[in-house]
Amino acid sequence: MQYYKSLATNPAALLSYTSAVVTVIALYLLFTGYGEAFNVGYYLLAISPYMWASIGIGLAIGLSVVGAAWGIFAVGVSILGAGVRVPRITTKNLVSIIFCEAVAIYGIIVAIVFSAKLGNVSPLTFTASHYYTGYSLFWSGLTVGLCNIACGLTVGLTGSSTALADAHDAALFVKVLVIGIFGSVIGMFGLIVALLQTGKAAEFGA
Amino acid sequence: MASATCPVYAHFFGFAGSSLAMILTSAGAAYGTTKAGVSIAMAGTFRPDLIMKSLIPVVMAGIVAVYGLVISVVISGNMAPSTPYSLFSGFVHLGAGLSVGMAGMAAGYAIGIVGDAGVKGFANSSKLFVGMVLMLIFAEVLGLYGLIVALILNTKATNEC
Repeated sequence: MQYYKSLATNPAALLSYTSAVVTVIALYLLFTGYGEAFNVGYYLLAISPYMWASIGIGLAIGLSVVGAAWGIFAVGVSILGAGVRVPRITTKNLVSIIFCEAVAIYGIIVAIVFSAKLGNVSPLTFTASHYYTGYSLFWSGLTVGLCNIACGLTVGLTGSSTALADAHDAALFVKVLVIGIFGSVIGMFGLIVALLQTGKAAEFGA
Repeated sequence: MASATCPVYAHFFGFAGSSLAMILTSAGAAYGTTKAGVSIAMAGTFRPDLIMKSLIPVVMAGIVAVYGLVISVVISGNMAPSTPYSLFSGFVHLGAGLSVGMAGMAAGYAIGIVGDAGVKGFANSSKLFVGMVLMLIFAEVLGLYGLIVALILNTKATNEC
């Protein structure tokens, strides 16, 4: 039980355990003459493009909102804590929370734009174009989601520092807010890459 | 239309490269911005005149994210649904994305920690500024190496089906 608990909490242990299991399985197949059965390309094609696309859209909005929420509670805790002594900071520092909210807006924009590409493929045979769309939506969704988690955390933690610096001295607010603005650019890069990747993808059901 | 050298799933690896370039460099840039930024806010409370000069680590962390953006755009510009795309190109683009991504993540991490200590030291003693900037430049150049290798790899991708 100790062993399984350590797997759950230690990502390095989990990664090494799973890679050891995968290596053993791969070598077993290789040495018993079933090497062709370890076919990554088969699984990439066997998973339907509907699944790739839908998981991408879900991750786009889901992970973006995780990033935004993380940032918002990091800022909120600092504003409310410092606001006990210095109530004047509570209104101005809402701008940091709005920057975190923008991260979630990027996610929802991307999710809505991508969901316009979903549709019904009427004779159910997928062509190479459908797979292209599926893969691009999956990876774009993952890009915007994970970049927005990074951005939300950055804007949140620097926003919390902004609130504390503002509580100390009101003249510092704008100077320290600039750091959060630099951080919010990361989420915008994720949005740009996602829209570029899926720009050429054709709709399903076209 | 699909052949053994240009299978249908080749685009998966190309997109993986483009996405990983952006995701991993974003993670590095985010760490650098946050770590240095919190220090700048703290040091700014007792030396507000030095805040503008102390923003250098934050700017350099942002540049790491730009490296990832450049490679992502270059890789995804080479992919289209109707042009032939070989599995070789897919793997080359995956390698390019990983090279700039992992290098950028490490560079951002280093910029964050050096910026954190550098800003705190600079607020205490102005003579440390040049030393901090030199160390940040060396950390930034690590990400640049990843960008160079990614660009070299990208030129190697050919699409012969």
